[in-house]
Amino acid sequence: MSSIISYFLPISIVLSPFLASAQDALLSGTVRDSVTQKPLIGAIITIKGGIGTTTNLQGHYQITLPSGIQQLTVSYMGYRSQITTVELRQALEKSFALQPLTNRMDEVLVSAKEKGEAIDAPQMSTTHLTMKDMKDVPVLFGEKDLVKTIQLLPGVQSGGEGSANFHVRGGDGGQNLILLDQATVYNASHLLGFFSTFNSDAIKDVQLYKGGIPAQFGGRISSVLDVSMLDGNKKQFSGEGGLGIVASRLKLEGPIVKDKSSFLFSARRSYADSFLKLAKSKDMDKNSLYFYDLNAKLSFNLGKKTNLYLSGYHGKDRLKYNDLFHLFWGNTTATARLNHLFNDKISSNTSLIYSGFNYQSGVSSEQIDFQVASNIRNVNAKQDFSYYANINNTIRLGVSALAQSIRPANLSSDKNQSVNPTAIESQRGIDLGGYISHEWKATTNLSLQYGIHVHDFMVLGRRTFYQFDKNGNPVSEKRDNSRIAKHYINLEPRLSASLRLDERSSLKASYNRIVQNLHQLTNTTASLPTDQYVLSSLQIKPQRVDQAVLGYFRTSTDKQYDFSVEAYYKRLGNQIDVRNGATLQANAYFEGELLFGIGRAYGLEGYLRKNSGRLKGWISYTLSKSRRKFNGINAGNWFNARQDRTHDLAVVANYALSDSWTLSGTFVFNTGNAVTFPSGKYLVNGKSMFYYTERNGYRMPDYHRLDLSATYDPNKNGKRFHSSWTIGLYNAYNRKNAYTIDFRENKANPNLTEAYKIVLFGIIPSVTWNFKF
Amino acid sequence: MDLALNKAAARVVIDAQLSDAGSVQRIRLSRSVGFDDPINTSGIKGATVSVKDNENRNYSFQYEKDGYYIHRNFKPLAGRTYTLHVDVQKQQYSATCQMPAYVAVESTNISEKNLAGENYFFAALTFKDPAKISNYYIYTLSTNGGPFRFARAESDQFNDGLKVTHYITDQEKDLSRGDTITVRRYCVDQKTYQYWNEYQSNNLSNAAPSNPKSNISNNALGYFSVAAAKEYQLQIGR
Repeated sequence: MSSIISYFLPISIVLSPFLASAQDALLSGTVRDSVTQKPLIGAIITIKGGIGTTTNLQGHYQITLPSGIQQLTVSYMGYRSQITTVELRQALEKSFALQPLTNRMDEVLVSAKEKGEAIDAPQMSTTHLTMKDMKDVPVLFGEKDLVKTIQLLPGVQSGGEGSANFHVRGGDGGQNLILLDQATVYNASHLLGFFSTFNSDAIKDVQLYKGGIPAQFGGRISSVLDVSMLDGNKKQFSGEGGLGIVASRLKLEGPIVKDKSSFLFSARRSYADSFLKLAKSKDMDKNSLYFYDLNAKLSFNLGKKTNLYLSGYHGKDRLKYNDLFHLFWGNTTATARLNHLFNDKISSNTSLIYSGFNYQSGVSSEQIDFQVASNIRNVNAKQDFSYYANINNTIRLGVSALAQSIRPANLSSDKNQSVNPTAIESQRGIDLGGYISHEWKATTNLSLQYGIHVHDFMVLGRRTFYQFDKNGNPVSEKRDNSRIAKHYINLEPRLSASLRLDERSSLKASYNRIVQNLHQLTNTTASLPTDQYVLSSLQIKPQRVDQAVLGYFRTSTDKQYDFSVEAYYKRLGNQIDVRNGATLQANAYFEGELLFGIGRAYGLEGYLRKNSGRLKGWISYTLSKSRRKFNGINAGNWFNARQDRTHDLAVVANYALSDSWTLSGTFVFNTGNAVTFPSGKYLVNGKSMFYYTERNGYRMPDYHRLDLSATYDPNKNGKRFHSSWTIGLYNAYNRKNAYTIDFRENKANPNLTEAYKIVLFGIIPSVTWNFKF
Repeated sequence: MDLALNKAAARVVIDAQLSDAGSVQRIRLSRSVGFDDPINTSGIKGATVSVKDNENRNYSFQYEKDGYYIHRNFKPLAGRTYTLHVDVQKQQYSATCQMPAYVAVESTNISEKNLAGENYFFAALTFKDPAKISNYYIYTLSTNGGPFRFARAESDQFNDGLKVTHYITDQEKDLSRGDTITVRRYCVDQKTYQYWNEYQSNNLSNAAPSNPKSNISNNALGYFSVAAAKEYQLQIGR
């Protein structure tokens, strides 16, 4: 426990700066869109002389200023800036409503001044994207997709051709915390991974943290993808939608009581069988392959200082082949958040969150008939406080209680009893957590953000635990009748610091430790809905990461360009792999199929971004390495993780050709993933068997691809109804990138073997029509 | 497509599936070759190969040709434990296997299934799985008198004690109307099943294929299994 005290000691010391000077007065308020009344996140409030602040996630800002007459500038990309003079004698509340710019060229000019890397802020290894940033990035089938956009950022890799799965800084796909209005999204992909669950119409913005992860987040060791849903328009009713080759979308929003409350409802559905032709079958009507998702949000203004937000998501994928086979899966989330400003300095968020994921698959024929079903869900109660003490100090603290349960894949049989129904005991855990962090501008040039996240993960008992020998065979079984079978208590220190070198550049450094108690088990190359989730148990220890990052950030004088370079090193503990040929579903002894090891990942990321002008976009480059070491794999030697790649390059460019035409292009190049190929062969029982000498000792061929799109947006002012067209080309020069490489006997001479590749997508055109009213 | 694969150093391969389907037992010794080389058809000469049972009967195998070591009067019995000893150039290899009992088949027929618009033929074998014990099955298949090839490994993990049907087909060449097929069904021990289950899990979507875990010592490839087996001949009607 002495370690706890030593963690909290510095916090009590640094509380001293909060005794701010008496001549200062606090200015606070909210910045909103004048038309929709939506709060604007990240709006910039500056006073003459240089100091300033930005609005938080609720559009709220607080700044402590010297008393007297102050000239304020409030600005936000895409909105007309406001300049106001206030006379500060005591705490003052001043809110702003900014007018959106309708002319595209204006928007470009304005954003030149306002966007730009926050070189002062200690937070690093993070990217904030709004839907505007994602709008013009060309994507597969023309479905704009936030996950596909973040895959173009440094340190973020696509999980495969067209995949909505992603890897961050050498981590696994199951190590990303994906949040939608604070609710965990367990499986963020549709149609076996080609689309993400995020309907772009319903999304306000997204923040990706790759390192220096702030103390309020925890639970996954690689990254946090924090997605916020849009608030409905409080002033007027409006709609928006689109027709694409794969899916159609419709969004409606408007006031419930004008200026007081609003609703937003958004739906998307893909067309059955439109892009994966399962077909040829006579009874096509019995086949289905589609997904839908629904987003809804209600916002209520309960008085001047209190807001209530209710939001939810429900999505489902249905894949059905005849009556023979089906696979259904989906996520559901619900969030209730009460936001309250106690006074000028203290704000509070109280949240109650549910999220769940389930799948069900089955085979049904005359001879065999069974179903496999599994679900995972959590309920989370959270209380967070922010204390804006003065311009130099902000304290955040909070507590949460999360109850997690997993019903593992169970087997049931209906008709002809071809299988024995198997019920595996559920796993349940409770995660009690708390955090405190302090963002402190220590000197003019040095800013710190440090804190600690503490949690106690309780493996709940009243179930059976097994022990296994080194070959994974069960050797003992013990029924645990206690309420709590095991506590995993972890302290996770977090620290970020920024040192301003001059007006335009800074050095930043960060360290974080994070543990993970929910583990995704996969033994396939694709992330499938049938991947198993397990909680930490007596057998499975929490995964752990220690990450250190060092970076240099620079912005040009006019803030038109941002540049950053970051180097990271990660040490991974208690990593999990699966034995070859393992049965993970409906297997009470599945823990015996797991192998435990360690990992390390390191890399260098460069990012150059042009924020404004006719030409906008970015170049990102990553040089990296990700390795693992397991007893029982590769003779216990270090091997490359599958997602290990040496080079990753992405170039994203948008060019505003005229008021109505925008051209966009994306080019990606990466070294092929590490892969296991045979180094020999032999004959057993009439079969040519491949002889493997090393795990992931080979490379897939280099991958590169160019995507193009053009958007025609006539944007006639004054008309209520307005529409635009986007045409796109995925893989414009039709590069035959290998999705997978396999080996087979030569048909003519079975004594010979040959390699062949499978290509998933050649050139794919798309067209989308979008409308707004 | 062309792929530059390393050529691994050759390893000894022991292919030793014995059974009570006949009294002639064959064990083949060979060496692995590079991926792009033709498969090794000549095998290893000059090795000593023998199998001993738990009652100390010793069966000495004689070299004939192409790496085959043969014993022409050896019918193993269910319940006995057999130990293989192989000596190749002073390197010793050994493995042990207890032979399970045969699980009788009640009926066989040809089943035709429509998958993704195409019709496929399967040999269907129906039997009652013995309850409360773990049973493992592997199948090899010969089409129109051709060589037997491994076809499928099954276990009773999800259908212990039930009436079960196994569907067997040739994974490399679709069966067609008029074909005569011979299915050889082996009731095997857990390690033999594990070997072939790992082999059949090395499919396209497997994240990291690896060599099936051998039950033979000293790093040999291949496996040793003594099984209860029977053959079933079926014809796919025209």
